[in-house]
Amino acid sequence: MASRAAGKASGKAIARAPRETAHEGFLNHKRSRWLKIALFLSALAIAVYVLTDPQPRPNGGTVAGYTLGTIGALMIIWLSLIGLRKRIITTKPYSLKGWTSAHVYLGLSLIVIGTLHTGFQLGWNVHSAAYVLMMFVIISGIYGIIVYARLPEQLSANRNEATQPQMLEAIRALDRQLDTAAQPLGKDEADLVRLSLERTDIGGNLWQRLTGRQPRCGTARARDAIQALVNQQMRTGKPDQRLTQILFLLERKDAALAQARRHIRMKTLLEIWLYIHVPATFALLAALIAHILSVFLYW
Amino acid sequence: MSFVVRQIAKRADGGDIIRTRTLAAAEITVGRGTDCDIQLADLGVMLRHARLMQLSDGTVAIEATGGIPLEIDGKFVNRADLSVSDNPKIDIASHRLTLAKGDTPGAIAITAERVVAASDAADAASEIGIFSLRETMPSKRGLAWAFAGLVLIIGLALPLFMMGGSMLPTDMVAAAGRPAGASDAGKLQPALGGDAVRNAGYSADMVWSSGPLSTAHAGLSNNCGACHSQPFVSVTDSACISCHKADAVPAHASADRMDKGRLQTTGFQADIHKGLNLPDGRCASCHKEHEGPRGALMVAASFCTDCHTGLSGRLTDTKIANVPNWEDHPQFKPTLVSVASLTAPRFERVLLTDKPMERSGLIYPHDIHQSATNGVGNMVRKQGLAAGANGALACNYCHTPDSDGVRFKPIEMEKNCGDCHDLAFARDGGVIRTLPHGKPEQVAGVIRDFYLGQALSPRAGVQRLAFERRAPGRMAELESADLRVTSVGEARARGNAAIAQIFGADGKAGGLCSDCHIVNNTGAPNVAERYTIAPVTLASHYLPKGQFPHNQHKTYDRRAGDAACVACHKGVMTSKASTDVLLPGIGECRDCHGSTKVATNVPATCNTCHGYHYGETGQGGDFTNSPHRQPAPPAKVATRATPVRLGSAEPTKAVRKASA
Repeated sequence: MASRAAGKASGKAIARAPRETAHEGFLNHKRSRWLKIALFLSALAIAVYVLTDPQPRPNGGTVAGYTLGTIGALMIIWLSLIGLRKRIITTKPYSLKGWTSAHVYLGLSLIVIGTLHTGFQLGWNVHSAAYVLMMFVIISGIYGIIVYARLPEQLSANRNEATQPQMLEAIRALDRQLDTAAQPLGKDEADLVRLSLERTDIGGNLWQRLTGRQPRCGTARARDAIQALVNQQMRTGKPDQRLTQILFLLERKDAALAQARRHIRMKTLLEIWLYIHVPATFALLAALIAHILSVFLYW
Repeated sequence: MSFVVRQIAKRADGGDIIRTRTLAAAEITVGRGTDCDIQLADLGVMLRHARLMQLSDGTVAIEATGGIPLEIDGKFVNRADLSVSDNPKIDIASHRLTLAKGDTPGAIAITAERVVAASDAADAASEIGIFSLRETMPSKRGLAWAFAGLVLIIGLALPLFMMGGSMLPTDMVAAAGRPAGASDAGKLQPALGGDAVRNAGYSADMVWSSGPLSTAHAGLSNNCGACHSQPFVSVTDSACISCHKADAVPAHASADRMDKGRLQTTGFQADIHKGLNLPDGRCASCHKEHEGPRGALMVAASFCTDCHTGLSGRLTDTKIANVPNWEDHPQFKPTLVSVASLTAPRFERVLLTDKPMERSGLIYPHDIHQSATNGVGNMVRKQGLAAGANGALACNYCHTPDSDGVRFKPIEMEKNCGDCHDLAFARDGGVIRTLPHGKPEQVAGVIRDFYLGQALSPRAGVQRLAFERRAPGRMAELESADLRVTSVGEARARGNAAIAQIFGADGKAGGLCSDCHIVNNTGAPNVAERYTIAPVTLASHYLPKGQFPHNQHKTYDRRAGDAACVACHKGVMTSKASTDVLLPGIGECRDCHGSTKVATNVPATCNTCHGYHYGETGQGGDFTNSPHRQPAPPAKVATRATPVRLGSAEPTKAVRKASA
């Protein structure tokens, strides 16, 4: 009561949004408003498809077909505009979150609208090419939603409060220590340390980024070789103190690399779909132009 | 004799730290080891890498001691004498030693510095390279341009470049235009060759095809312009009728009647069609192409009722009844003989409910022939004719199925009636004299000549076969007395009496002809012309607009054989006159063929019984009513006069038995 009275006195709204609303993501934005709209659109499209009985069979050229096709084409154009919208920093008329929510759900409803527009007729032609590209874009988008929903948490857990520069700096610091620690060593041992210093690629190529595995990594090879040396020495007597220190450093570097590579793997999974989603969208827009123009050219 | 060593190290802020030492020795060592005079903290350097010896003023010998050759001014050597005045450069791993003359005489200055940056000199840019895909993948923008460009080239630019110029193959059009002759027999697509072959290659605009063409049009698959003659204009009838001449589409009424009769689109659909420049009533409105091999001819039941529902409202002069669906299909209107004739019979369609009468000209009471106990039944037993389960004459004794089992072979007197109604009239030695069926004027002549011949030159063993019923035992006596004539006049009188009796004219009993035929006495003085037989025309197809495969209906309501026949053809057992029309009505069909909407029934769609616009004329159902066509030729399909054949010289079964 006291706080309410204080709020009244100050003339400011003190009621805070409930915590769950504050954390509302794009998937359940505004109580899943766009999910409902998309479901309604899909149901409407299915109803139109089922209730009309075009002869000799349903296809894109019937009245229902043209209607679904027009709606679908306009939706595709609007959906592709998210690339423009996200570059404009504004909250009006719709927030980017709302826009993304609509993008996701309306994009998913295109599976129904686009498929019914085809009348389940597919062939080796520009029309089916447009459909396949559309499905490509949607499927890559579904993948995007899944990784956006799941990976950030894992990414954060793996990062363990460290920033990307900090991760790199940790590796560099270990490199400097290795460099210093290896100075008194003979050529063969020094070369093993150089293997780690010079033949370690943190990121690697696309496949290594996606798997997070680099079995031929210089550090791993150096660690294994020095481990073998230390083991050998332990069988005959006390191992070389300098080697055991370098082994310790290499193991720490290996752990730091593993963390960075897990980070890179998840970042790659988060980014890779856009390399399909975006170019396929533009290919789809091109195919849509060819599809619509050719349909009316050869009417 | 001294070396002045300047070691340069990089500071974190980029500046240099220079440490200078003077080593008063003629020989110094270089290496990573802490005991070396010049220590290089570089793992590429050996613990003891090299040794420098001052030979004389201005000359230094250098020797590799670590087993790795030295790189001096780009050359790898194990040992070299260097002139200091040349300022030689010695590269060891990431470091470089540069020799120069010292400030003091005899001194040699050695500058040692790292020339290859240490690996940890990474900058902020590499962070993006390491953690994002930006440097691993081609740019999204580049990929987008590449993919979009590829699609536009294959899907639009190439077809646009190739578009136009393709036409209907001229020889295909020419082939469709010329009258069908012997040389064209069996040539379904006479244009395979010439233009068609020329157009058979790859065509870039094939990627615009929304689906395969129907089998008949497959030859035009890569020849889009053949039908799509104008850009942005939907396929017009002119493209269709350049091959499909009016005479070659017999099942269609004229275009304007088809247009009038069809269901007009209204409302939203009509607006869409109008807005998209898709006029209704074109050939392509019904014959949809690019729908697969059977596409152009695919027909659904609703396709029929689209026009046949309320047809009379749109096509006011049509004689075809409205058929909105199977439930409301009108009662049958069989095609019946109205005037029998050997040359020009007339038919009319009469509703089954309008007391139809078949005027075939034949006398045939079904009821007598279906009895097992009367004379007919007796005859069946004696002659061993095909009998039904009840012992009466079997239906298929007369109604024998045709080769495909759909309908029945025409009824022939000799085959279907002759076993009982045989035309033998005399025995001449071992030969049975038979009258020719279907030739009444010859019949009279044969009988007259038979009596005259017997008067002029009587022969033994010639016997007239009698037809009247006589008391048993007196038959032979009567028969021989009939031929015992004494004069030509008597013979002529006997002959005339026999003719009148055989024809059965004027209601005379026991007439051979009048059993089945209406015989007229013209009163002509010439006896050969005196009696005429009313012409007989038997219909061969009562419902020519439909098909009823009898062989698929051999059982009905758990009955088989003749019982199944009369289960539908209900009046047969009691029919006393051949004017009775014994066809089942549509109600009998509906007993089994219910609505398509009832799952338990045998569904009936339009094409269960009907083809597209099959009519008596073969010219389309509404053809005869069209003022735009030539008057219809006399009906032919349902017309079939009783076959006329000469009397057989072979004795029939009945006579053979009698003579035995």
